[in-house]
Amino acid sequence: MSQELTVSAVRSTAEQHRVHVQVDLLAIPLVVLLFAAVFSFQFALLVGDWDYWIDWRDRRWWPLVTPLALTILPAVFSYFLWERLRLPLAATLTILALTAAAWVSRYLNFHLFANFPMNMVWPSAYIGLGLIVDCILLLTGSFFWTGLLGGFAFAVLLYPMNWPLLAPFQVPLELHGTMLTVSDLMGFEYVRTAIPEYVRIIEQSTLRTFGEAVTPLTAVFAGFLNIMNFWFWTWIGYLGSKALWIRKIV
Amino acid sequence: MTTSVEASDDAHDRALRAPWKAFFGMLAFAAAVFAAYRIYQHETAFTFGLDYFNPEFATYWMSVLYSELAIEVLLGIAIVGYLWITRDRNLDKITPSEELRRYLVLMSQLLMFGAIAYVVTSIYTESDAAWHQVTVRDTDFTPTHIGLFYFGVPVFILSVLTAFVYARTRIPAFAKRVSLPFALLVAGPVMIMPNLGFNEWGHTFFYAEELFAAPIHWGFVLLGWATFAAGGLLVQILTRVVQLTQVVSSADVQQTNIKSEAAANAELNAAA
Repeated sequence: MSQELTVSAVRSTAEQHRVHVQVDLLAIPLVVLLFAAVFSFQFALLVGDWDYWIDWRDRRWWPLVTPLALTILPAVFSYFLWERLRLPLAATLTILALTAAAWVSRYLNFHLFANFPMNMVWPSAYIGLGLIVDCILLLTGSFFWTGLLGGFAFAVLLYPMNWPLLAPFQVPLELHGTMLTVSDLMGFEYVRTAIPEYVRIIEQSTLRTFGEAVTPLTAVFAGFLNIMNFWFWTWIGYLGSKALWIRKIV
Repeated sequence: MTTSVEASDDAHDRALRAPWKAFFGMLAFAAAVFAAYRIYQHETAFTFGLDYFNPEFATYWMSVLYSELAIEVLLGIAIVGYLWITRDRNLDKITPSEELRRYLVLMSQLLMFGAIAYVVTSIYTESDAAWHQVTVRDTDFTPTHIGLFYFGVPVFILSVLTAFVYARTRIPAFAKRVSLPFALLVAGPVMIMPNLGFNEWGHTFFYAEELFAAPIHWGFVLLGWATFAAGGLLVQILTRVVQLTQVVSSADVQQTNIKSEAAANAELNAAA
């Protein structure tokens, strides 16, 4: 093709360097902004209230729903950043972008706009999970092992990583003769429109009456699911980074 | 629009820089508009936006809806129309430095799209999540929906559509063929609007509560995932930028000219 035979637009290595710096200044913020945008969007619509509210971070759905949705972008963009640029950064960078966007949004929207206390709507801590996945990818250089070990650890460690932040809200208290947690009480004080739906979801089945094994059981189950989840989304990342051209759309 | 084959030193120098002045000017304008909208929403959503049947709702919110829709349609027609009318009809004659300049313009447009996408899909989207958790709505046109779906999303669509049409009308590789990742990047945001129709229909009939992770919202997620194709688009852009910024010796240039001539002769022979 004649385009590929075109001579260069630069006259020296200094000019080449100048252009590459310009490209970096455009591409890097673009990638970070897109990470923040897409991750916030899909996390809001797949996890949403499980991460918005302290009383929704329960032991049954939160440790299952969250890692499955949280793995998507790290897996997709791990393929792009590792295969194309040899950067083992995707998981940390995407989750960092999500976390920064979440803090801005919780403060502006949930606190300033809708008047919920920040203590009730702070974003959970996920950056450590991204670091683990990226470290495993760096050490193994393999998506198979990253999915197997990183995907599993990602889900299993979600609850323990947040436990220091969550623990004060899980302290039991007695209110009018009924035992409940601090976070439950906050939830009852700030009734939201989705609470009836949440109660319908969370009160199903016998799991709620089980003892202390519920959280580890959920975490391990989520870990096994997340292995396949990671592999699947890595494959989507492979498809997404294909530079395909077509003659016409229809 | 025509292009000169020989680029002056000034033009050559400009070609090596992204259009930062224009970019930051547009960014400041967009930030001012989105911030002003947000302040208006903050001041009037809970005071005049709770009851659709209140006359004040029509004054403070429906008027905003009608105005913004009209402005967006006119702006869209103007931008796309301008890009089409002023399209480059001599794309096979542009210089490498001009082509490089256009790639940098395209990337700055995509960066603008990224900034708008962040504001819309994070801040504006979650203002809707917060709103619907504290109000039971009586209309599809809530203050946050008017901000998100009828202001934010159309602007978001317009920003990526601008970049797409710019590439189709001014950059040879994108004019000759359709970039599938770019087409997906445009199609995802565009398809949010039909999905919004389904969403509102569902909320009207069978799902009034605003559990944000509800299945009725998952269509939006699927469309948001169209952005995963951005990786493929970046590969396409960067591949060409690397070709355009290779440092070549005069011997290489001579060799390239010989190849070009040979390719042209081959084309002529094939045509004969």
